[in-house]
Amino acid sequence: MSAYLVRRALGALWALIGVAIVVFLILHMTGDPASVMMPPEATKAEIEAFRHEQGFDRPLIVQFASFAVAAAQGDLGLSLRHQEPAMALALQRLPATALLASSAFLIVVLVGVPAGILSALRPRTWVDYVARVIALIGQSAPTYWIGLMLILFFAVRLGWFPASGIGDWHNLILPAATLGFFSTAKIMRLTRAAMLEVLAADYLRTARAKGLTFPRVTLWHGLRNALLPIVTQLGVELGTLLSGAIITETVFAWPGVGRLAVQAVFERDFPVVEAVVLIAATTFVLLNLVVDLLYAVLDPRIRYA
Amino acid sequence: MKRAFVSFLGALLALSPAAPLRAADTTVTISQGVDADTLNPLATTITPTFNVVQHVYERLADFGNGPGNYEPRLAVSWKRINPTTEEYKLRRNVTFSNGDPFTSADVRYTVDWIKNPANASKQTPYVRDIDRVETPDPYTVRFVSKTPTAIPPGLQNPLFIVDAKYFQARGNAYAGEHPVGTGPYVLREWKRDDQTVFDANPKWWGGKPKIDHVVFKPIPEAGARVAALRTGATDLITNVPPQYQIQLVGGTNTKLESTRSLRQLFIAFNTLQPGPQQNKLVRQAINYAVDVPAIVKNVLGGRGYEITSPIPPNYFGYDAAVPGYKHDLAKAKALLAKAGYADGKGISLVLNAPIGRYNRDREIAEAIAGQLQAAGIQTTVRPQEWVSYSDQLNRRALTPMYELGWNQPSADADGVITALFTSSAPLSCYGNPEIDKLADQARGELDVAKRKALYKQIATILHDDAPWIVMFQYEDLYATSKRLRWHPRGDEWIRAYEMSVT
Repeated sequence: MSAYLVRRALGALWALIGVAIVVFLILHMTGDPASVMMPPEATKAEIEAFRHEQGFDRPLIVQFASFAVAAAQGDLGLSLRHQEPAMALALQRLPATALLASSAFLIVVLVGVPAGILSALRPRTWVDYVARVIALIGQSAPTYWIGLMLILFFAVRLGWFPASGIGDWHNLILPAATLGFFSTAKIMRLTRAAMLEVLAADYLRTARAKGLTFPRVTLWHGLRNALLPIVTQLGVELGTLLSGAIITETVFAWPGVGRLAVQAVFERDFPVVEAVVLIAATTFVLLNLVVDLLYAVLDPRIRYA
Repeated sequence: MKRAFVSFLGALLALSPAAPLRAADTTVTISQGVDADTLNPLATTITPTFNVVQHVYERLADFGNGPGNYEPRLAVSWKRINPTTEEYKLRRNVTFSNGDPFTSADVRYTVDWIKNPANASKQTPYVRDIDRVETPDPYTVRFVSKTPTAIPPGLQNPLFIVDAKYFQARGNAYAGEHPVGTGPYVLREWKRDDQTVFDANPKWWGGKPKIDHVVFKPIPEAGARVAALRTGATDLITNVPPQYQIQLVGGTNTKLESTRSLRQLFIAFNTLQPGPQQNKLVRQAINYAVDVPAIVKNVLGGRGYEITSPIPPNYFGYDAAVPGYKHDLAKAKALLAKAGYADGKGISLVLNAPIGRYNRDREIAEAIAGQLQAAGIQTTVRPQEWVSYSDQLNRRALTPMYELGWNQPSADADGVITALFTSSAPLSCYGNPEIDKLADQARGELDVAKRKALYKQIATILHDDAPWIVMFQYEDLYATSKRLRWHPRGDEWIRAYEMSVT
């Protein structure tokens, strides 16, 4: 097991190095940020001076070398826009995004999975149809639109929740629901499909035939076997929620990593983009590892050595 | 890395709500689309940031109402002592909020800070004309410019005075994040992209402001900004999309505020690149083909003002006698035929436009393209995202036509003419030795009447040579809660120290 973990950690390290290189190259292929950063009336010489001070006039390979040396020590440089360490800026925003994403994830698990099970247990009844229509809306309506509709109804009309910003739990409900809607729909459909397949399996008929109670048949024998694809997907969804809160954070003025990322991309704030992408990549790598370890718990046939 | 981790932990703690402001105090919350990028007033160039930092920091004088009007702040008076030197008498007994006295050394330090290449300030263009700052005594500063300039060099740009001692002692990074100024407010807390809270500065030389606390709460999405105002979460929102007007006017607790902007939108011809746009007749024909009043009415819902000269009526240098182009399709077609493109044969143009940079930028470009099609000129709109757009703009690569907006807070013709029409200016795609000469002359002319006459001459030449399609100025839309007493300014600056509540 520990050998396996070491192997995975090394693999993750290579993946992160790869991500850093690719992001660095893609960013620098789009030109350098001096012309956007300087005011419009700046002359060529003034832009050139800024470029020189920031080191953008050096050959790309030299820029990469100094980036790599600093990055290896955890220093991605100063944000061009904020004049502060980029990694610190991104990490400062992480708790807000983590709070939003984990709340949305809770909604996904607590609503998506039970709705999927219910839908599978009562196929082609009204329960199934209602759940499937909601899932259809969740999968097809843009997050942006859902967010604005929730604001209009629950904040402006009913006045139950604030329209935007971060604060106490009231502020969390609407953005978490908005962010979680799409994934909830996806997990609900996946759970339904997986459960339907398992429910039709021979061993479940056997379980029923030997007189096990309904919950034991469906939850213990059914759900447990249907869980493998669901857990895989949940891992992916949590990663997506953590790194994909860009639109929700913008609509709800949520001070998270996503909003920082959008601004950084628009203004070519290279160090911040690097920091955000590296954090997102690390999150995905870690979640993948957790999911793989969970497999072994869920399915005793899977063992890592 | 350790520092990053500490800030991560700090941010975790910061998620808990801040101490509430006293209910008896008056608090005004302002929501712009973006947060300040920094609180260092010397490291930014964007208006939303200036709007935030101007509550802590002050300039020598504020832009007043109307071109050439300044309201004294840290300077009480100023006069020209020779063509290249302007002397400012500074306000006495002013202290920074940490107790440091404000003196001429701080003014010199501020200019030197921007000029110092090691600070990589984006404001270097603002101090380009200033050769040096002299400090004959603690309450006198002299700005010596390289060449004579009619506009006081210490006043024409946002030049916020910082505490030299504090910056030197604490370093740029710390001083930038923990602002100490002479202004009407002091910073209570700044949570990036969440909120910036200011408390009235009881020691301000101007007396205690009417509003006790000012909160800047950025909300990027326009619909969410409107919702926040309607729910009472904020008192003032900027950039109100015209489609929300009815909701806000009809709201029980909201009202609209609007003002004529100093910002104009125009289409420039790139006369430096080959193509039919290098032919003056074609440029004139296109000017006749575009129906600006129709665009203002239909695309902006009437929220704009047609202008006929690149020097608009609310700028110094405007002259009503300079003619403009009236929409005239027949004239457009005749000129086009004279230029050798009868019925638009052989002419096909691209109109470059940014997406989302200015209100309705892309739609305006599409409307113009439609109008040019009607005159027989094949026109394609090429909309682009701002970052790559500005990159091409700086390389003069947008051709043959491009859309741009321009706002000059000093409201002086020089800020338009020198920056956008002289051949050495980075944003000019026009070269005319006569304009270069006249622009330089007008810039340095200290006699107001003579200077005005020079700008009239420039505007007349530009009308005939038609390097632009002069279009309109925006009407800026704001919405506020009904209790707020405030009038917007054309330069997009929002000053809470001029507000009151009922």
